[in-house]
Amino acid sequence: MSAGIVQVRLAPAEELQLRHLIEDFRELIGAERDSADPAVARLTPSPYPGDSDAAHEFRAATEDDLLGRRDADAATVVAALASTEQELVTMAEEKLFAERERGIPVEDLDAWLRTLTALRLVIATRLGIDSEEHHDPDDARFGVYDWLGYRLELLIEVAEEQGF
Amino acid sequence: MSTPVSTPDLDEQLDLGAAPIEPWQTVVWNDPVNLMSYVVRVFRTYFGYSHEKATQLMLAVHHDGHAIVATGPREVMEVHAQAMHDFGLWATVRRASQ
Repeated sequence: MSAGIVQVRLAPAEELQLRHLIEDFRELIGAERDSADPAVARLTPSPYPGDSDAAHEFRAATEDDLLGRRDADAATVVAALASTEQELVTMAEEKLFAERERGIPVEDLDAWLRTLTALRLVIATRLGIDSEEHHDPDDARFGVYDWLGYRLELLIEVAEEQGF
Repeated sequence: MSTPVSTPDLDEQLDLGAAPIEPWQTVVWNDPVNLMSYVVRVFRTYFGYSHEKATQLMLAVHHDGHAIVATGPREVMEVHAQAMHDFGLWATVRRASQ
């Protein structure tokens, strides 16, 4: 049962980059994760920052579940992109960067939104972004961060336009 | 009209007035990463708020640094905070009296 499809535009090269980022992300939050990593901590914030006992208890009880849902979201997006890698083997170079239509089933929309957001949060932590003005045009990682933000903004815009 | 035949022995612990249900709050905090449109969408779709109310809350988070997005029993506020964390927003839970 599909209530609808959100149509977005993505180039195959973008899909490939997104897939690689998500693979790294799944490794970061997977079974071998370092819970003390600031990026992991950012994804599992404490609802009781002033109370270390309550914070510890809450995090211990919820971290696995929360990151498990993150991983399920990431898996949904990766599955949607799985065919791209095969296509790329025989794809002409000019097609690599040409945008094309991609339909996202409405039931997968939150997984896409949350995953793009999570990738931005991780990159922002690595870059030490602590204000909206923080930017360094010479650092290529900011380019990836901005690109994810652009794609996320467009996805939200299209979803709202289509009434989802 | 009738009067009780005897005055019941009231146990102090049965006094319902002594333990009012204390409200708690879910508070969402500003961060430099999450997009304004995204925060509005999360408030709208998760809490079922109107676009207008969701936008007001987002602007409060943006300008004041935080906003109370829900009030109620502690367990429910924890569920909301977890849901916000699922969406990548930073939320805390506190007593309404704080």
